[in-house]
Amino acid sequence: MRYRRLIAGLIAVLAALAVAACGSSSSTKTVTASAAANSSGGSSSGGSSVGGASTLIGAGSTLVAPLLQGWASTYDTAYKVAITYGPIGSGGGIEQITGRSVNFGASDAPMTSQEAAACKGCLEIPWALAATDVAYHVSGVPNNLKLTGPVLADMFTGKITSWNDPAIAKLNPGVNLPNTKVVPIHRTDGSGDTYAFTNYLSHVDPAFKSKIGAATTVNWPGGLGGKGNSGVGGALQTTNGGIAYIAIAYVLQNKFDYALVQNAAGKYPTPGPASILAAANAVKTIPSGGTQGISLVDPPASAAGAYPISTFTYVIIPKSGSSPAVAAGLKKFIGWAITSGQDGVQKLDFAPLPANVVAADKKTIQLIH
Amino acid sequence: MSTATATPPRRRLAGAGVKLSDRIGEPAFRIVCGLAALVAVVLILWIAETVFNKASGAISAFGLGFLGHETWDPVHNHYGAAALIYGTFVSSLGAMIIATPVAILIAIYLTELAPRFIRRPVAILVELLAAIPSVILGLWGIIILGPFMESHLQPFLHSFLGWIPVFAGSYSPLSMLSAIVILTIMALPIITSITREVFETTDPQLKEGAYALGATRWEMVRMTVLPVARPGIVGAVILGVGRALGEAIAVTQVIGNVSQIKASLYQPAGTMASWIANSYQSANPGLGTSSLLYLAAILLVISVIVNLGARVIIRRAGAR
Repeated sequence: MRYRRLIAGLIAVLAALAVAACGSSSSTKTVTASAAANSSGGSSSGGSSVGGASTLIGAGSTLVAPLLQGWASTYDTAYKVAITYGPIGSGGGIEQITGRSVNFGASDAPMTSQEAAACKGCLEIPWALAATDVAYHVSGVPNNLKLTGPVLADMFTGKITSWNDPAIAKLNPGVNLPNTKVVPIHRTDGSGDTYAFTNYLSHVDPAFKSKIGAATTVNWPGGLGGKGNSGVGGALQTTNGGIAYIAIAYVLQNKFDYALVQNAAGKYPTPGPASILAAANAVKTIPSGGTQGISLVDPPASAAGAYPISTFTYVIIPKSGSSPAVAAGLKKFIGWAITSGQDGVQKLDFAPLPANVVAADKKTIQLIH
Repeated sequence: MSTATATPPRRRLAGAGVKLSDRIGEPAFRIVCGLAALVAVVLILWIAETVFNKASGAISAFGLGFLGHETWDPVHNHYGAAALIYGTFVSSLGAMIIATPVAILIAIYLTELAPRFIRRPVAILVELLAAIPSVILGLWGIIILGPFMESHLQPFLHSFLGWIPVFAGSYSPLSMLSAIVILTIMALPIITSITREVFETTDPQLKEGAYALGATRWEMVRMTVLPVARPGIVGAVILGVGRALGEAIAVTQVIGNVSQIKASLYQPAGTMASWIANSYQSANPGLGTSSLLYLAAILLVISVIVNLGARVIIRRAGAR
C-alpha cells in the first residue's frame, strides 16, 4: 500500500512536469516559430565582433554537400569559423534562404523569376562545377553505352520502352542489347540533378520542353520515383532495366554503369572534371550582378570535349539585411571557396571554376553589405 | 513518507484530521489530470487548424477539382490528388483483404487449436511483428521482398489470374503490390492481437453447448466464437486501416512514388502519406506547399471519418 501511494505520487509529479512542459511550449510556440527564422542568424551573429561571424549556417543542394563538408573542415582549421550545412535538396535551400532561416542557401538550379522575387534581393553566385550522370542497370549490357539527348527524352517519356529499341541499337553497333523493359527512375524531392537533366532534355527536345519542362521537380509520366540520391540509387540497384540521372560523385562511388551522352559536336566524352571544365570554358559571357544563372547544358559544337549535362551549382545569399558580422563572414567564406576552395575538387568529382567565372564572382561578392 | 503507517488511507481523507498536504494534493491532482486531458484536446484542434489554414491557398485555387485531377505538375503549377487518393485507398483495401482472414485464422489457432505451451510464445512473436520499425520493414521490402515479387510472385499471379487487369502487365519490384504486402505485415499484429483477445472472452458455456449439440470444432467456431466476436473484429480491422492509411516511410520505400492510376498492381503508385513525406521539404513555395497541405487535410479528414465510423459500427453491432 505504501509503495502504491508512492508510485501514484510519482506519477502525478511526472504528469505535472509533462503538462507544465507541454503547456509552456504550447503557449510560447507561436513566439518560437516566428523567432526561429531569426534565432539561427541571431546566434551566429552574436558570437563575434571583428572579422565576421564565428558560425555560418547553410542548407540546400545534396550534390554540393560532399564538397561543402570538405570546405567546412579546411575552413574551420584555417579561420576558426564553423560552417554548418544541411543537405536538404536545392528546392529546400531556396526556401530556407527566402525565409532567412539560414545564412546561405545552396542550389544547383538558378532561382526562377518567381523564386528570385520571393527571395527579395538575393544574389546567386556560382561556386562549384559538377555534372549529372545517366546511370543504368541492365544485365548483359556493358558499361558506357552511348546515348543521345533525344533518345534519353524518349526513354524518360515512355516512347522507347525496350532496351533493344532500334534507336539505341543504332548508336551502339556490336553491343548485344536484351529485350528488357526500360524503367526510367527519377527524383521525387526537389533536386538540382532533376533541373540539370530536364534543362538538358528541354534544350535538345522541343516536345519535352513543352510537355514536361525544366524545374527541380517535374511531372514525369510513369517510371519510378525515389527520394534523394539514395532513394534513386536503391531503386536502380533493384530494377533490371532501370535508367536514372544521378550526381556524378554518387554514380562513381557506387560503381553504377553510366552512359556516354552525345554532345553537340557529335562526340561521346566521359563525364569527369576534364569534360565538365570543357563545357564551362565554352561559356563566353558571364552575366554580372549575381541575379542570373549561367546555363551550361548542351554547349555548342565548338567545345568538342564538353560533357553536355554539366551544371554550375550556386550559393544564394541576401544582398543586404544580414548582420554586419554575418555579411563579412559570408564575403570571406565565399571569396575563399571560389579561389583556394577550388584546389583539389577533382578528388570529389567536381571541376574547378574557370577564371572568368571567378572574376565575375569576385565582383558579385563586393555587392554584399 | 516513512512516517506513513498501516492506517487505511480512506480514514485520513475523511473528517477534520485531513492533512494539509492532502488538502492541497487532492485538488492539485485533479487539476493536473484535467490539464493533461486538455492538452490532448487542444493539440488535435490546433493541428487541424494549422493544416487547414496552410492548405487554404490550394483549396481556393483548385477547390474540389483537386480531388478529381490526376497529375501533380510542379512546372505548370497544377496539382491534383486523384491518383494519390486512389493509391491510398487501394493499398489499404488490399492490405485488409489479405490481413483480415489471416489474422482471424491465427487468432482461432491460438485460442482454440494450438497446444497450450505454444500459445503464448506464438502470440508474443506475432505481436513482436509490430515492434519492427517501419523503416527497417521498408528496407527489407527493397532488398528482399521487391526482387522476390518481380521474379516469383508476380509471374505466378499472372499465370493464374492474368485475365483480370489487376494482375496483368509488366513486372516491377517497386509496386503497389509490394506496398500492399508491407502494409499487410504492419496491420497483421494489430488485428490478430485484438481478435485473439475478443475470442478469448467467448463464454465457455456457449462453446460447450455447441459441442453438446454435436458440432465439430469448425462448426463451434462458426456458430459461437465468430458471431460474438464480430464487432471486435470490425474494430480491429478499422484500427488496421488507420495504420495503413497513415504509413509513410515504409510505403515510400517500396511503392515507387509515381502519381498515376494504373489498374495493374505490378505498377508503381503513390499514397497521400508517402507523397507528403517525399516532397514536403522541397515543394515549390506557395501553391506547391499549400497543395501538399491540402493533401494532408484530406488524409486527416479520411482518418477521422474512419475512426468515427469504426465507433458507430462497433456500438451498433454491440447493441444487437
